Amino acid sequence: MNRNGIFALCFNALFALFMVGPLLIVIGVSFTPTGYLEFPPSAISFRWFKAILDNPDFIDAAWISLELGLASATLSTVLAVPAALAIGRERFRGRDALQGLFLSPLTVPTVVLGVAFLRFLSLFDINGTFFGLVLCHAVIVTPFVLRLVLASVTGVDRSIEMAATSLGASHWTVFRRVTLPLILPGVVGGWVLAFITSFDELTVTVFIVNPSTTTLPVRLFSHITQTTDPLIASISTMVILLTVLLMLAVNKLYGLDRLLIGGEAR
Amino acid sequence: MDQPAFNHGLQMAFLELQALNKRYNNVVAVEDFNLSIERGEFVSLLGPSGCGKTTTLQMIAGFTQPTSGAIMLNGRDLGAVPARKRGLGIVFQTYALFPHMTVEQNVGFGLEMRKIPADERRRRVADALDLVHLTHLGDRFPRNMSGGQRQRVALARALVIEPELLLLDEPLSNLDAKLREEMQLELRRIQQEAGVTTLLVTHDQSEAMALSDRVAVMQGGRLIQEDSPFDVYEKPATSFISTFLGKTNSLAATLERDKAGTTIVIDGTRLSGPDTALAAGPVEVSLRPERIELTDAEKATISGNVIERVFLGDQWLFRVETPIGKLLVMQRNLGRREANVGERLHLSWEPEAMRLLPRGEG
Repeated sequence: MNRNGIFALCFNALFALFMVGPLLIVIGVSFTPTGYLEFPPSAISFRWFKAILDNPDFIDAAWISLELGLASATLSTVLAVPAALAIGRERFRGRDALQGLFLSPLTVPTVVLGVAFLRFLSLFDINGTFFGLVLCHAVIVTPFVLRLVLASVTGVDRSIEMAATSLGASHWTVFRRVTLPLILPGVVGGWVLAFITSFDELTVTVFIVNPSTTTLPVRLFSHITQTTDPLIASISTMVILLTVLLMLAVNKLYGLDRLLIGGEAR
Repeated sequence: MDQPAFNHGLQMAFLELQALNKRYNNVVAVEDFNLSIERGEFVSLLGPSGCGKTTTLQMIAGFTQPTSGAIMLNGRDLGAVPARKRGLGIVFQTYALFPHMTVEQNVGFGLEMRKIPADERRRRVADALDLVHLTHLGDRFPRNMSGGQRQRVALARALVIEPELLLLDEPLSNLDAKLREEMQLELRRIQQEAGVTTLLVTHDQSEAMALSDRVAVMQGGRLIQEDSPFDVYEKPATSFISTFLGKTNSLAATLERDKAGTTIVIDGTRLSGPDTALAAGPVEVSLRPERIELTDAEKATISGNVIERVFLGDQWLFRVETPIGKLLVMQRNLGRREANVGERLHLSWEPEAMRLLPRGEG
């Protein structure tokens, strides 16, 4: 079964280590009983996990990030699905421009985006509000959703929809009963990717938060600019744990490879 | 639903395509297309790819708007009727089954759209699956089925809504040869059991001939011949049809007439010709390989050496170099040794086996 050469195996092992190594170190550091970053930890202690509970502002920030991720991922999915359907299968004037517009947040430097959002939100006097954050994050994560949904839209056999139409289904029914289930892998995958992107977005968010809407990454960032205690590590470990649980849940419900590699919809 | 128009009802065929035209910008896809189909008839639209047959089907289905012309079904003009209200059963080349639904859900979809109560729906789905011999596979998903089975599901799904018209778009082209032959017979049986008027679109002449009551041959967006399969094969209207349907020997010839009858001159060789209405002059001779017989030297119309020999199991195919050109000859396998490459064969055929066509057409 194993047809990989020794070189390929070594390369893959090194690559995996390179990806996972930092995470393992962070997890290791979080169990230290000392007041400074220490690896490997001299003993196992939950001191810094207990410390999370004594810092409610981190917990508040985590809730804001969670809500922000849910809201912006959902908003951008609602926008990107119709956009992907139009771009993926219709031929109209300005189609390429529209696609470029939706994907442009990927190409604009995030610092520039941050400054622009700050000016824009101030103009409407919604700077620092949760609503403003949702709008900006929706813009940032839309390219991810659009890309994944587009990929699944172009894979759908149009005659399946024609078949539904010929059997008497209206446009809306065709979408709800046939098209949407067929592009669901792309939609769910896009949504998850958008949620994760929003959840750990820092560069843009720094510009547009105020103390009442500080997200977890921003809170962590401002914490390490002041001190470097293992609290950062224990919070990171919690985030890693939550992410792993989320991925396991998605895998159980849906199949990760189908989601990320975009396997066939059947 | 519109009522049938009484002034038309009597003279009109069940399905009438009247002067259909479809242009994309300046490209003509279908031109002045007229076709009538009677109730219960099985008609094939046959032609090479790009001949406009699929566009015609799409116009009947309502997925493409004709540039001009009318489509009348059972006396009702379909022009303003959207695709979803035409009530036609369509089987697509890719089968287009709903991959996320079971066979039963697939077949029941059209009934669900018609708001048929669940118990009646179940009964009708079961009947439809019965008709296509898939009774036991109702809870399968399409991905777990073979091509032939998917084909049957697609048929059941199209037929369960009791359509006035069944449209089949190259339904067998994704099946392998053996299964295709089986499904041809099945398709014919199912169509006759359901008694549904059927229009088949295909590029496969054997499919068209095996299945249909009538064959309509299309070329370049136009209908060029419409006849029974036998007549299309035996009396092709153009040399394009004679070569498109089955194999033939196409020979450029000159037709001469005198009191005794007609003479065919090919490369200086004179052969007695068939009765024909064509005027003397250049003609094209179409001679089917199965009409050429092997005979003795003295009875031969012409003789020549075998330059190619293919054994097909049920028959032999020879290519013979003769004074009138290379002839394809088909000979039923009689279980005996046949002439090898380089050996001489003596050929004969009835003058009537030669089909004469005006030269330069098709």
